Order: sequence, then C-alpha cells, then structure tokens
Amino acid sequence: MIRLSVICTLLLMSLKSFSQKDTTITVKILGGLQFDLPRFAVQPNTRLTIILDNHDDMAHNMVVTKPNARLKVVEEAMKLGDKGATMDYVPNSPLIIANTKILEPGRIDTITFTLEKEGIYPYVCTYPGHGFVMYGAIYATNKALPPLEKDINVPEAQRQKTAAVVMNHAGHHAVETPPSPHPFPVKYPLLYRTFMPDCGPAAIAVGLTETEAYCFDAGKCYLRYAWSGGFVDNSEQWKGNGSKLTKVIGEVYWRDKTGFPFRIANVKNIPTVDFKGYQLKKRLPTFKYLLDKVEVTETIRLSANGTTLIRDFTFKNNKQKLYFLVNTDDGIVYQSKLSKFNNGVLSIPANVQRLSISMKR
Amino acid sequence: MKNHNMLHNKRTFKILLGCLLALLLFNASLKAQTITPKDSAANYYEVENITLSDGLVAETGAIGFMPDGRFVACFHRGEVMMYNQKTKQWKMFAEGLHEPLGMMVINNHEILIMQRPELTRVKDTDGDGVADVYQTVTDDFGMSGNYHEFAFGPIADKQGNLFIALNLASNGAGIRNEIRGKYDSLSRPGRMYSCVPYRGWIMKLGKDGILKPFAVGFRSPNGLGFDAQGRLFVSDNQGDWLGTSKLYHVEEGKFYGHPAGLIWKEDFPRVVPIKLPVAHLDSMRTKESIQFPHGYFANSPTQPVLENTGGKFGMFGGQMLIGDMDHKYVIRLLMEEVGGAMQGACIPLNFGSKMRIGNNRLAFAPDGSLWVGQNDHGWVGARGIQRITWKGKKHLDIMAMKLTKTGFDLTFSLPLDPAKAQDLLNYKFRRFYYEYHQAYGSKQFDVKDVPVESIKLSADGKTVSLTLAELKAGYVYELKTGDIESADGKYLFNNLICYTLNQLR
Repeated sequence: MIRLSVICTLLLMSLKSFSQKDTTITVKILGGLQFDLPRFAVQPNTRLTIILDNHDDMAHNMVVTKPNARLKVVEEAMKLGDKGATMDYVPNSPLIIANTKILEPGRIDTITFTLEKEGIYPYVCTYPGHGFVMYGAIYATNKALPPLEKDINVPEAQRQKTAAVVMNHAGHHAVETPPSPHPFPVKYPLLYRTFMPDCGPAAIAVGLTETEAYCFDAGKCYLRYAWSGGFVDNSEQWKGNGSKLTKVIGEVYWRDKTGFPFRIANVKNIPTVDFKGYQLKKRLPTFKYLLDKVEVTETIRLSANGTTLIRDFTFKNNKQKLYFLVNTDDGIVYQSKLSKFNNGVLSIPANVQRLSISMKR
Repeated sequence: MKNHNMLHNKRTFKILLGCLLALLLFNASLKAQTITPKDSAANYYEVENITLSDGLVAETGAIGFMPDGRFVACFHRGEVMMYNQKTKQWKMFAEGLHEPLGMMVINNHEILIMQRPELTRVKDTDGDGVADVYQTVTDDFGMSGNYHEFAFGPIADKQGNLFIALNLASNGAGIRNEIRGKYDSLSRPGRMYSCVPYRGWIMKLGKDGILKPFAVGFRSPNGLGFDAQGRLFVSDNQGDWLGTSKLYHVEEGKFYGHPAGLIWKEDFPRVVPIKLPVAHLDSMRTKESIQFPHGYFANSPTQPVLENTGGKFGMFGGQMLIGDMDHKYVIRLLMEEVGGAMQGACIPLNFGSKMRIGNNRLAFAPDGSLWVGQNDHGWVGARGIQRITWKGKKHLDIMAMKLTKTGFDLTFSLPLDPAKAQDLLNYKFRRFYYEYHQAYGSKQFDVKDVPVESIKLSADGKTVSLTLAELKAGYVYELKTGDIESADGKYLFNNLICYTLNQLR
C-alpha cells in the first residue's frame, strides 16, 4: 500500500502539462493469482509501458481492456477452447487495448500503449480460469482515486489486508474479543502446527494463555523460544498457498541458544531425535520424542503467577546419564529440584523418571 | 449532437432487429415443440450444497466417511470437522493441523491425516468426540520450508501398506534457513526442485513403520487412488516436464517424467537431472495412462476414486472418477490394458449447472452419493462441499472406449438410434501430441483431423466400431461427438472424450 500510494503521488506530482506523457510501470505477478499492483493511476493521454514480471509458478498473461470490458474479454477468451493456447489466450476482440504473451514462470514481457481518454481501464490475466480473480485497474485520471477498500475494480482479496487474527488482549482494548478464525470459539491452550519464524519447518506454536506462548520444533524436538504479549497472527500464512510465515504477536523474551539442550552419556554426545507426536490434556500438549532410545515426554506449562515456564519431563529407557544444557546469560533463572545447574549443565542420573525445570523471567 | 443521433438511430435499428429475431425464434420454437429437447445432466443428478459451519473457511483438503456414517472433512486452517447428516450439525474433531491434504478413516474414533510435516494418527481416546492424541506415524521425509512441498495421501493397499505423495518445491519461492532432512543442491536448477529427500516421490509405508521411496518423477501429485484391480493411480499437474496434466499407473521403482526427484534414486549418477538429454530422460520414463488436454478439458486433476457404490450412484460401478480444479464436472477414467500397459480415455461426467469448480476431493457416502470437497488455495477453484445423488434414471453415455486394430469401439449405456449412430458427421476425431520437455506446459503438436472411414453398429445397438483413416501411437485422439441419440430418444450430453494412445493393438 505504501508503495502504491508513493507511485500515485509521484504520478500526480509529475502532472505539469497536457502534453502526452511517457510512463513505465513494472507489475509483478505474485503467487495466489494476483498482480502485485491491484490498481495504479496515470494521467489521461499517457503512453504507458508495462513491464510484466511473472514471479508465480504458473503461466499468465496481462490483457488491458477498454473500460467495463474485462468480463466480456474473459468470456471471449474462455470460448477459444483448444485454440486458446496458440493465441496466448487472447481473443481477437476490439475490446482489447494491449496484451502480453503468455509468460511462463520467471519470464518478462513489455507492452506499450496509449491511454488518451480519462477512464478506468481493467487489466486481467485471460489464462483459462484466472480472469475471474486475477485483475486490476489503470485509472487514467487527474482526480483522486476512490478508497481502495471500496474499489470494485480491484479484486476483493486485494481491497484491504485480511484483518489480522489478533489474539492479543493486552492493553485497554482488552474487552473486545476478535472473531474466531475457525468455526468454533478460540480456546486456550491453543496449538497450531504452522510455519514459524526462527524454527525448522515442522513447527508447533502453543498459546498457553492469550498472552503467553512458545514455539516447539517438532523436527529437532526441542523448545525454541517463548514470548509474551499475545499469540500468533496466521493471516498471511493462511492466505493463498502458504508461503508466508505465521507471525509472533508480542515479544520473544527467551530463545534456546544451546542448539539442542540434551546430551546422552557424556556432556558432548548429542543424541539423535525422533518426534512421536503429542497428547492433549485439557488442551495442553505433552510432546513425545526419542533421544536415541530414551523415550521422553515434555509438557510445558505456566506457573500459577504466570511469570515462569515449567517444563515437566518424563524419561523411559534412560540407562545412561542425561545432561540438560542451558545458557547462563540469557536472563532466565533455571531451577530444578533434582539438583543444581553447574555452569549451565544439569546432570540427570540414569533411570530418573521425572524431571521439572523451571524457567523464571 | 450528431453522435447522439447516430447512436439513437443505431439503437432503434437494434430494437427492430431484436424484434425480428424474436419473431424468427418464436417460429423456430413452435417447430421445435415436435422435436425432443436435448438432454441435460440435471435430469439425472441432484447437486446439493452442504450447509457449512459459521466461520468456516471451506478450503477443503480432505474428506471421508466414518463407519457410523458421519462425514468428515479437513480444512486449510487445520480443522477436522465432523458433519452429522441427520442433524445437519458440524462438530470439531481435531484442530491445529498444518495444511491437511489427505485422510484415511480408521474407525469411528481414529483418522490418519496427511499434513504438511507428517502423517499423523489423530485419535479420540476418551470418547468425548474430540481428538486428544496426535501420533506421528511418519515424518521421515524432508521439508525445505518451500510452500509448494505439499503432501498427499495416504491410501492403503490390500496388504495394509500406505502410500503418500510428496510435492516438489517451486522456485517461485526459496527455502527456509532451517530445513528438515539432508540438503542437496544438485537439483536446484529448474522450475521445480527437490533439495531434500524425497520430494517428487511416491512413498510406501510398510507395516514395519519404515517409509521407503516407491516411485519417482512427480511434480505435484495431488491425488492417489486404487482401481478395482488394486492398481495404484496418481495424478500430476501440467507444468515443467508435463506438457499437460496426467494420470499415471504407478509401479515400484519406475520413473514417471519429472527429473528433479531423481537425485534421491539409489545409484543414480551425480548429475543435474534436468541437464540430461531429453531423449535420455524420455527413454527412462514410464508414460502416463491418460493425458488430460490442458485448459479446455482439465487444468489440475485431483483425486481419483473408484466408483464402488454397487449401483447406488448409477451405472459407472467399477470405473474411476477424478476431479478437476477448473471445471464444473468430474472426469471418468476409461482405461484398458494394451501391450502390457494401462492406457485409455477420459470423459467429463456433468452433473448440471449447480456443480461448482474446485473439485479437489471426492468420496462416496455409504448411501452411494458422491461428496465433493472444494478448494481454491490461491489458485483457481471454489470453496465448499457439494453432494451429488443419482436420480435413478440411466442417461446416454459412453461406457467404454476401446482401441481396435483399425480404430475405436465405443460402447454406450443404451441402444442407439441406428441412423444417428451410423452418421459419420457425429464423430469428429482430432489427434495431437504434447511434447515432453523442460518448458512449462506444451502446445499441441502435429494437430490433424482424422476422418472416420466406416461405422459398424453392433447387434444390440450399443457398440459402434469406428474405423479411422489413420492410427498412430504417441498421440491423444480427441473425439467430439455430435447429436447421438438413444433408441428411446435420449441425447448424449458428455460429448468430448480423449484417448491417450501410447501403444497400438
């Protein structure tokens, strides 16, 4: 949006005379059947060059039509049937002002045409099926554009950013409950397997409460970070094909900087891991994983006063000593009833069945 | 002013012309009353929109039925929802999954679900109707974090082995800093790539719990299914190395055409697969059983399912159906074994205008109705769930298209009107091929109309034997049928059928 308004402003600033202008605009094709610019403005009587850059993984074109002719052109393109492919899916139509070729993924094409009269000129991809969702509008005008969120010349999905699924109740707006993104009310603890930042691709985000959360790496089998102030915003991740990451809402107050906390037999021996899933009790997950042949469960909960994360472990088949490593300078006080941390290392004797480690902020 | 007058005159002229046309049409319609109207799919099938739960974004990733008859569906935001057909109520069964795109129901409390990072056993162990156990069945495959690495399946063979399919990554986006699995950059060049094991493969999970690579050469295999004989079929989507979308008969150890995943094949030389000569790759690959002509026939075929309703869904028992993302129909697959390999035809099965596009997942209900889960997922499609029931009457359709030494035998569902059946004008054949190459998609090459030279109608009036002027292996034979009519006055309304002729008889 910022970029769009800058372009619009620049265009309006360059308005000096009524002579023909030359303008070049690059339009990128993004994944999810969209042009990165859902609309832009030029002065009437502009010779416009559009550089179309296909960043998607499908083939697309761009057809600029006369005002109000987008749907007609899309329908004409559909009627081309099996002839379409050899014609770049562009019908032979007087309603078309200009068109690119069909661009394979990664290709670029340039078209130049003149828009003399004031008007709203649609552009659309006429590849079969795309035309009903993949379009935009060139405003040839000296006037201000209508608000984007009300502009019917722009696809609905691009009229505004999808309202973020904010689950942050901190602050004075706490009374307002955001609508659930699901067909049921949102309840905590709440778990999402999703793409999280600073984690492997098999990540699990858990909101313990509306404001306390952590990220567990289900590939590497350890707690990666914890944050406070909210849970997650999945709106970008859920949109389209899932390329964007889910966002953390709030502030990450702790990250595991050990690389992996457990050692087996000696303090240097990093075990292989194997994630086995989780069980929910009153919605709170208990993760199961293997450290070599040691069966581990881990439940991460919040202390009653809400300032301490408590990690409850159980072990089976731990015939050798285990070690649990922490960073001593990360602002967290680590404690365990089992014994003291010695330079950031907790020794866990063989056959210990239960262990709790508290992490106080 | 002048312009306005001209416009006005034009308008007057148009109105006059309109009146004239209307008169003509009125006359024509009077005449038409004595002629049987053309048939329509809506006379034979009912399409019902299933009412969805409030707040549901119905990008449907998987559907199925519980043994007790409840319908179950997975959605893009990670929900698994149960639908009681009697009460028409939805209830959450599981949540928080990462892009679930496949499921297999085990029992009334347990489902296997393929989500992006793993195959998961989702179980309700305390009987409250909500899952509490999410067991990792296998996550023994790589993930680069690229969005295009979708995972599909599972389906089980008769021995209980499970099969899943792993998409390639797309160079429309990069990979994550942290990945899962061993990184190999060898196959990064190219449109779609495989930089972690076993992207581009069909995987087999044995009863020992070990996931093994089964077959390679897939791009975006969004659909696995067994036919009545237990043969595994997998669909793949038009793109690089796929001139058009395809359906493969998948057998162990074979290579099906997209080279990116070859780097994970045991004993495969350390070469960039896409740099191998195309002719060499072509000689290595097993050809598809069916090609779906791109655009006008199908754009993205989805899940193949076996029609096993015992006649409850109509007359196509034992055949397979497959959905497509861009078309308002499902597609019937009419395959046969020729020269030791499966090949055959695809034909739309229309259900009438209420049918939506985006038909990503198909499942037959215990009552024999076909349920379709729709999806768009940032591409062309639709959202929601539709249920299709057969009204109990037979329509005129092509039941089989079989290659003969001289042409094709078409078997129809009803005896044909002999005159119409033997009219050469009612069969328009065209043949062409799609090229196997690295570029995205393919145009149709060597397009040629193929005249029908003679027609023979069988004694029961159901089979026409067409002799073609020419038959060549390596082509798609596309047939557009005309006004073929049954002896009892029903018209053919699914009139485009495309046969992939890999081998001659």
